[in-house]
Amino acid sequence: MRIEFDDGTLLLQNAPEDVPFAEWDDRVDEYRSQAYRYRSLLEWAGTWTDGDEQATLQDGFAHALEDAARTYPDLDLTPALHIEPRDYQQAALDAWIDHDRRGSVVLPTGSGKTFLGLQAIADAGVSTLVVTPTIDLMNQWHATLANAFGDQLTEPVGVLGGGSHDVTAITVTTYDSAYRYVNEYGDQFGLLVVDEEHHLPAPTYRQIPEMMIAPHRLGLTATYERPDGKHELLEDLLGPVVYREDVDELAGEYLSEYETIHMSVDLTADERSEYDEEYQIYRDYVDSHEFDLWKEDGYAEFLKRTSYDPQGRRALIAKQRAERIARTAEKKLDTLDNLSKRHHDDRAIIFTANNDFAYDISQEFIVPCITHQTKTDERTEILERFRSGEYSMLVTSQVLDEGIDVPAANVGIILSGSASKRQYAQRLGRILRPTDDRDPARLYEIITEDTMETYVSQRRREGVTTSADG
Amino acid sequence: MTPLFIDPDEERYRKTARELIQLFEDHLDESKGELEDAIDELTVADTDYKIVQGLEKLLKDECEFEIVATVEPREIRRRLFEKANDRYPIVRQPTLGEDTQKLEVYSAVADDLGLSLEECYRGMYADLDDNKRLVRVGTRTAEQYASDGDGSTSTTTLTGSSDAEYEHTDLTVDWLLTRYNLALAQAVLYDATEMRIRVWDHFGTVFSYVKLFGLMHRIYPIDADGERVTSTDQAAGYEAVLDGPASLFSQSQKYGIRMANFLPALPLCDRWEMTAEILVDETTGETRRFALDQTEDLDSHYSAGDQFDSDVERTLTQKWERANTDWELVREDDVFDLGAEVMIPDFAIKHPDGRRAILEIVGFWTPEYLDAKLKKIRQVEADNFVLAVSERLDCASEEFGGASDRLLWFKTGGHVYDVVELAEQFAVSPHPSD
Repeated sequence: MRIEFDDGTLLLQNAPEDVPFAEWDDRVDEYRSQAYRYRSLLEWAGTWTDGDEQATLQDGFAHALEDAARTYPDLDLTPALHIEPRDYQQAALDAWIDHDRRGSVVLPTGSGKTFLGLQAIADAGVSTLVVTPTIDLMNQWHATLANAFGDQLTEPVGVLGGGSHDVTAITVTTYDSAYRYVNEYGDQFGLLVVDEEHHLPAPTYRQIPEMMIAPHRLGLTATYERPDGKHELLEDLLGPVVYREDVDELAGEYLSEYETIHMSVDLTADERSEYDEEYQIYRDYVDSHEFDLWKEDGYAEFLKRTSYDPQGRRALIAKQRAERIARTAEKKLDTLDNLSKRHHDDRAIIFTANNDFAYDISQEFIVPCITHQTKTDERTEILERFRSGEYSMLVTSQVLDEGIDVPAANVGIILSGSASKRQYAQRLGRILRPTDDRDPARLYEIITEDTMETYVSQRRREGVTTSADG
Repeated sequence: MTPLFIDPDEERYRKTARELIQLFEDHLDESKGELEDAIDELTVADTDYKIVQGLEKLLKDECEFEIVATVEPREIRRRLFEKANDRYPIVRQPTLGEDTQKLEVYSAVADDLGLSLEECYRGMYADLDDNKRLVRVGTRTAEQYASDGDGSTSTTTLTGSSDAEYEHTDLTVDWLLTRYNLALAQAVLYDATEMRIRVWDHFGTVFSYVKLFGLMHRIYPIDADGERVTSTDQAAGYEAVLDGPASLFSQSQKYGIRMANFLPALPLCDRWEMTAEILVDETTGETRRFALDQTEDLDSHYSAGDQFDSDVERTLTQKWERANTDWELVREDDVFDLGAEVMIPDFAIKHPDGRRAILEIVGFWTPEYLDAKLKKIRQVEADNFVLAVSERLDCASEEFGGASDRLLWFKTGGHVYDVVELAEQFAVSPHPSD
């Protein structure tokens, strides 16, 4: 029997009739099986070996099997880490190794799941695909992997997704890109790491582990159980839960102290007249239709109308234009001028809500810039240089929200942000650290006076207070 | 399920299409961002904005946007940030304490890289999507759709295709509006789990595209009414069920993209039907049926390929027209299902009394192509399958498997009467239908 990787499945050529895990494919007159049965098929044939061990021949019996499916290489890696694994991380790793390097580890948020992933990759010693739910998380994994293994790899850490398409021995990707391309690359990895694995049981994403031959698998999550019960599928796809640590067994999260300073600017005369004109178009439309915009269904009703009522469409555009004027008010740049004079010796991160504004600032003030458009490897480079001190300022339109990813700054400047509570709290708490005890970290929030921003800012502050209390 | 097709003759759509095409042409050599801003202006108070955006996307797909910069933009900005870091604060309105740091940083980096100040400033972010320049309003080939569609592994090109065939697409109003309707249908197919097609002509073209887009098939010969018949000798057309390798294990919409990419091959046929199962609810697995046929007036932007694979075929056809025989030479009547692919012999030879033979011409081919062809030929199981083989080829009778007795070796063009003789010898009458 010869097994071959075929477009996300395994084609079993000249297979005996008792071959397990296979279906007869009348289209090609051969048996076919799902790619993730690779390891089980090798075990059945008695040709499975793990590392240096000898093939375990059961009762001296083995099916002749030619493995034409595996194309993934072995790797010899040692993570360049400056931190010792914490006890529970070591215990989780040991448990995973004991379960033949298959299975899930359930650890609370902020407990260093990425760190555990690095150790698992080094331990398995095979090429690895890391799958994450968002581009942000993919970027963070990229930064961490490049940091830990970059010097030991012949090619840089690969990125599949967010506009990049480089697949190398260690590659990071998103669920969406993995789903799209897994049939092409499913034979090139020996270890599959799935971050936030509770998303995996969706019918489409499920095909990611199914279409890969990777004999080693690691699932990571803080919330294993799904309300729909579908987490039961994970055992078949990735292996059983091998380790679990509950929230209260870990120390609480560190939130640093910082001082918030609110500043406001006016619109210029031109901006003001344009703002008022657009805002009025929006207001008139809304007032004449009695939507309760402060309620969710009121706003949904407004949006619905914009798809068939030309005036509604115009009102929506007017609202967007007004918001844009307020967000990118010319005088905010004057304020930024003053702040950069005051803090030019500090480490500052500037937040904006839109890409264009971030790029304008990057060009005006010659400051490195990270947006959703920034390619993963450049993003990693910029953050690394900010960490090392080569860069002391950074402008970003992105939520940089995990300790491992974002180097500390002692000055934050919000030029315009989204009103989302969660984003805001994360932006603040995780990034600002005082440089010394006498000089607290500072957060500046610059809003445009007498515009919709004034309201948003208030709502944002209320959000933070609530989450800080709770 | 029916997509909201638009009527390409309706004046308001024609007007929108005209305006859009004009905007693209006016923005040649300008930035993508400027083009997009101009298009957005069209939809400020227009509830057809979804149609405008759809048309915009289709036009963009036919365009090339390029990074215009003499030095790698990332290199420019890396140097700028390095230099700037020692010079902060860099401010917009320098007061007495601060100098014109900004200008100095830009000039220094421009000098280092041998750029003008403006090239340095503009080049810094020339790789942003918005800053790319519209350099060509052209066309794409089906191979390009296949390779960036879902990265299906197939790289096979259509037999007889060449670059010259994919001539420049004129971006006309008619092209754009019919393309829009096709794109709507394709969008529905993204969630398809299975596709059934019936075609009554252009089999070679259709199955080449099935293969090109990495779809698997089950094929059934059908009569003029679409009813299944037992053999290819009785077939007026073919029904094919299309899906992918993993469809064997579970219902999957993984191949929806491939089906969507394949769809434009169907309007190349004169008569065709398509039904697809569309997954509407992931959790319950509920599907709905989506059906289309040639009455929908969809237009294809794919190539139908050359009618003839080789000069030998063309010559034989011409000779046949001048020859005096009852036997008739017709193209592409039979489709042999060989599992992973199909074999479509070049011709069928038909006698008015019902006898019929199938003819494949093995002309002048490269060794690799010959090997692949021989492999296919050996798998064909039909007693009335005959071959005309060029003597110039490096191969022997034995390599033709079961067909080795039914060969005709020819020197240059092949003679009609030799082929007729072969047909007389091996042609069979169609089985009485059972």
